[in-house]
Amino acid sequence: MTEIKNIGSISVPNSLQGKTVQPEKGENFEALLKDAVNKVNTIQNEAEKAIQELSSGGDISSAVIAMEKADLSFQVMLEVRNKLLSAYEEIMRLQI
Amino acid sequence: MDNFAIFKVSASALDAQRSRMNTIASNMANIHSTQTESGGPYKRKEVVFTTLPIGSENPSALEGVKMAQIVDSQEPFKKIHEPGHPDADKDGFVSMPNINIMEEMVNMMMALRAYDANVTTFNMSKTMFLKALEIGR
Repeated sequence: MTEIKNIGSISVPNSLQGKTVQPEKGENFEALLKDAVNKVNTIQNEAEKAIQELSSGGDISSAVIAMEKADLSFQVMLEVRNKLLSAYEEIMRLQI
Repeated sequence: MDNFAIFKVSASALDAQRSRMNTIASNMANIHSTQTESGGPYKRKEVVFTTLPIGSENPSALEGVKMAQIVDSQEPFKKIHEPGHPDADKDGFVSMPNINIMEEMVNMMMALRAYDANVTTFNMSKTMFLKALEIGR
């Protein structure tokens, strides 16, 4: 029994004691992501507006360009999301 | 997103070429107009382009284009002998607009080619943008 008790007295390395991960000051990732998604949404709305203007005599090239912008920003967002998901899956696969 | 500034340059060029096409269309339509609201025959219209700085950097590498003004051509009118025409002068000559149809055709082709080139620029920058998403894949 004494041996078993002794295990408890094995000291934890000093460097690991009392350390908690402090959230970084300033912008956190959540806010950053939210901001980016909002931006993409704004661009999507602009494209929709351009298409509506097209039906009421707007310029075709500006509508097409607004659509392209929406497409590209959406793809960037999709890429970030894919990266995020693969990082999450990588962590879930970790053996403890 | 400042990545899209390059698209603004292409968009401004497309706009500019469209306005050039508009003036060519009105030149073509009025090739025989001997009367205008301001009096006299129709004068050939030409567009003048100027740069349009885009983006906040100084000096900016991104410069779009915009229409500065539309000017009336100062070339002399063509005189055609047509005594029965209501706008004929006392010698029977009518002043016709100073439009050369060949010149307008060439201008139209140039506007079209310039539009084409700017669409290609747009597509290429889009391809570049999409390629950037493939980095590290």
